[in-house]
Amino acid sequence: MPGAVTSTYGLIERARAGDQEAFAELFHSYRRRLAVLVHYQLSPALRGTLEIDDILQETFLRAFRDLRSFRYESPGSFMRWLARVAQHVIVDTARYHGRRQRQAGEQVPLRDAGDSGGPEPADSRTPSRLLREAEGLRALLVQFDALPPDYREVILLSKVEGLSTAEVAERLGRTRQATAVLLHRAVKRLREVRERLPQT
Amino acid sequence: MNDSSMKPHPEEPSAPPAGAHDERIAEALAHYLDWQAAGEEASLDRLRGLYPELGGELQSELATIAGLDRVLSEPPAAPASPPSEPLPERLSGCRILGEIGAGGMGRVLLALDERLGRKVAIKTLSRRLRESASVRTRFMNEARAMARLNHPNVARIYSLGSAEEEPHFVMEYVEGTPLTETARAMSVRQKADLLREVALAVDFLHRRGIVHRDLKPANILVGPDLEPKVLDFGLARQVEDSAARVTHPGEILGTPAYFAPEQTQGDLTVDARTDVFALGAIFYEMLTGELPFPAGDLAEQLYRIRESDPVLPRRINRDVPGDVQNVCLKALEKKPADRYQSAHELAADLERFLAGEAVLASPSSYSRVMSGRIGQHLRELEGWKRDRILSDSEYDSFRRLYDRLIEREDAWIMEVRRLSLPQVTLYLGAWLLAVGAALVWLFRYRTLSGFTAIFTVALAAAPALWIGVRDWRRSRFRIAVAFLLAFCLLLPIFCVVTMAELGLFAAVAQGKEEWEFLFQFPSIKRTTNAQLWWALFVSLPAYYWLRRFTKSSVFSLVMAFMGALLCGATMLRMGMLEWLESDPGRVYFRLIPFALLFFAAGFAIERLRYVSDSRYFYPVAVVFTFIALSGVATFHEPYAEWLRRALPWTRGQIEYLFVINAGIYFALHRLCDHFPSAQLRGVAKAFRFVIPGHDLTSLPLLGLEATRRWQDSPADAGLRFEARTFEILLPAVACFFVFASISRQMKNYLATGLLFLAIGAVRLQQNWLKDHSAWPAALLLAGIVLMIGAANYASLRLALRRWLRRPNP
Repeated sequence: MPGAVTSTYGLIERARAGDQEAFAELFHSYRRRLAVLVHYQLSPALRGTLEIDDILQETFLRAFRDLRSFRYESPGSFMRWLARVAQHVIVDTARYHGRRQRQAGEQVPLRDAGDSGGPEPADSRTPSRLLREAEGLRALLVQFDALPPDYREVILLSKVEGLSTAEVAERLGRTRQATAVLLHRAVKRLREVRERLPQT
Repeated sequence: MNDSSMKPHPEEPSAPPAGAHDERIAEALAHYLDWQAAGEEASLDRLRGLYPELGGELQSELATIAGLDRVLSEPPAAPASPPSEPLPERLSGCRILGEIGAGGMGRVLLALDERLGRKVAIKTLSRRLRESASVRTRFMNEARAMARLNHPNVARIYSLGSAEEEPHFVMEYVEGTPLTETARAMSVRQKADLLREVALAVDFLHRRGIVHRDLKPANILVGPDLEPKVLDFGLARQVEDSAARVTHPGEILGTPAYFAPEQTQGDLTVDARTDVFALGAIFYEMLTGELPFPAGDLAEQLYRIRESDPVLPRRINRDVPGDVQNVCLKALEKKPADRYQSAHELAADLERFLAGEAVLASPSSYSRVMSGRIGQHLRELEGWKRDRILSDSEYDSFRRLYDRLIEREDAWIMEVRRLSLPQVTLYLGAWLLAVGAALVWLFRYRTLSGFTAIFTVALAAAPALWIGVRDWRRSRFRIAVAFLLAFCLLLPIFCVVTMAELGLFAAVAQGKEEWEFLFQFPSIKRTTNAQLWWALFVSLPAYYWLRRFTKSSVFSLVMAFMGALLCGATMLRMGMLEWLESDPGRVYFRLIPFALLFFAAGFAIERLRYVSDSRYFYPVAVVFTFIALSGVATFHEPYAEWLRRALPWTRGQIEYLFVINAGIYFALHRLCDHFPSAQLRGVAKAFRFVIPGHDLTSLPLLGLEATRRWQDSPADAGLRFEARTFEILLPAVACFFVFASISRQMKNYLATGLLFLAIGAVRLQQNWLKDHSAWPAALLLAGIVLMIGAANYASLRLALRRWLRRPNP
């Protein structure tokens, strides 16, 4: 899709020139992938307290601020770069949060157990508007959760972070061939999981 | 399930080894994924070209991947409200007239309520969001919460849409212009008044747990009656229940021009003070016509909000009074803790301005500028001190002045210091309260006795405490402090009256009526020392509590003062009055432990880092020390007796005791100077200050005494030697003090030294050098030599050094 390449590249160039809308458009197309990545990078404890949307918003702001430091190499490089920014945001936010929590002494529970007008079950795990609204995405997380960790990880790296198989292999410390087999099995298992789990 | 593990697994999953066929499929899949990752064309057809033998299996794998991609990629940029969506005919029985605006959440429609014949605005949820049941619920929940609000300056919600219709709610249609546009033609006072109303409306929302989060001029419309209305709670969220918020799901940013620093930083705690910042930004724009943080693009905008200080409004518009500028800048402080803590505080300060009073705001941007410049100057001063252009004490006094300039002192302290008519009246009132209560305590009345007296004093004390605490909570510090101080005076009086009327601690100590202080005045009601003591003692915890409650060190002053009184009461109970009659020296001697107690208290409090509190204890300690040591030297018989026995030649004369005191002060001065604390250095300075006076007044008195003795028996060589010694010692010591002034720039040493040098010269002329005309001539000569020598000090020193270095022939 050569058109998509130029369009991503073009949007980045426009964003670099200070065009916020271009950047918003660009960011928008990566939002779901980032949300999934962030979801799996948060520890279960943090997942209950931090909003993925807030982390995404901060990632957006920071990415826009630091856009000059991004070097365009391939269409996937932008997603990888965003993933890195998001990771920094998570670390900072978690640190900030930890500090605040220590200062506060105790933490106010975000959600009241007896809240009758309260949220649907999936909410308790993913207090995120984005994940709430995109119901397909929520279903995807349920499927991912049902995968063995190494299958899930290889899919996250390949499909969500958008790495090439060679890069995934490097990241996992395996041969490319072993990675390919792993990916194949992971995709197969994902299909099975999909068929087994009720679609939401 | 532990689903956060991202660690690489070196081991292959528990699966059978892959067959050749499987590997081939895996290879094909990897190809496909790599094409995708590189942004190349990835299709089943292209894959079949490379792996013709793989058919159906690949298809299902690719379908899975395609499904994954579909979920992961955002539906192509969905406009918040697609233009294709037609306007409904009617909603909630109102005829839709048109669209007023559209946002991330949905649209705002103009409609006519035909039953009531009024225009209304109807807010709807965009089609995209309507589909999610949870968003729908939240939207309506928020509307329900907002419908409970009723404030003249907050847009009303009339009704909620029924379940059958698309989600919407009907709200007040506000016809007006954005706040900043309306403000353009207004005077500063009108602007301040307008913003005050807005701030009160926003405070109203805050008090109900709603933070607006998107305050901007376009969201505050001013009608033709000049009444502002706050609307659009699109981003508003219930502070207490952060889970139940509805925000623009498709929208990442609100209106960055009015964003607070914490909103740009992913700070997840946005509170009422965030809205205070937005109010400050809006006020800034009203006052100057410009944005506080103008920027070309978003990144610059965010950077400036976080990092830069706005241009002072007075630079842009000279008509803005300094006070109004301060209010505006205080609302725009970067740190939420430095801002007004509530919109109500902001409104109160604007009200102060409108009433012609001084505002409380003193924005830190001033002190930042100040402290920057002062810091530089202080560094220069430090250099000067090193080069001995400045003395230590001069440097200290500069520092103190500067610290006072940049100190983030509570605004109320300055207000309290300013003697305005209301301030003076306030203090006069407080004093009259205390005096009135004291009269009830001291005098006998037929009508005011027993419980009536207790009740009367309580009637003064309790409201003073209550009003003081209440006003403090309401941030009316200036008034609160006056009431609380009045309470501080009334409390021990109340205690003593209660004890006196109830007969508590009424027993005379050891049956000695002459010990009781207040028994000495027949016209005054009899109050025992014990009652005085207990009244003061039980009051101290109250002062401590007030200090903790207000965090204001003025109550430490009260504590130190009452503590000193308590020491007096303790001495009274120990029989001070009897000692004053029989042996006054003991009174002063017993004062020494109390002085040490205050030193210890001051030091401990300072160590606990309550520096501004400790400064009230040291002066008491120093004054106690001076009184005690001087009194002991003057009256304490055993002290003089000890001196007479230890050094018989002194004959126990009190002047020698004062000289010893000077030595003690010198030791204390060295001791206190040793501590790295500005407070103790001040104490050291106080001790040092009295040394020359003690020494130089004692010497001539001793000399006069010695001369008198010698004249009584002129043949005694010892007496003659003593008299002559003192005659020489006085000018010599005076000279010593003159030069001793150099090391610490002690002007009092120079002045007293010079004065007593003159006295010594006169005494020498009178006695030893009687009729010697050479003496004045020598003085004249010495004077001229010293002056000429000093004028050529540098070259003389050089010559002297050369002469000293010359090798001996």
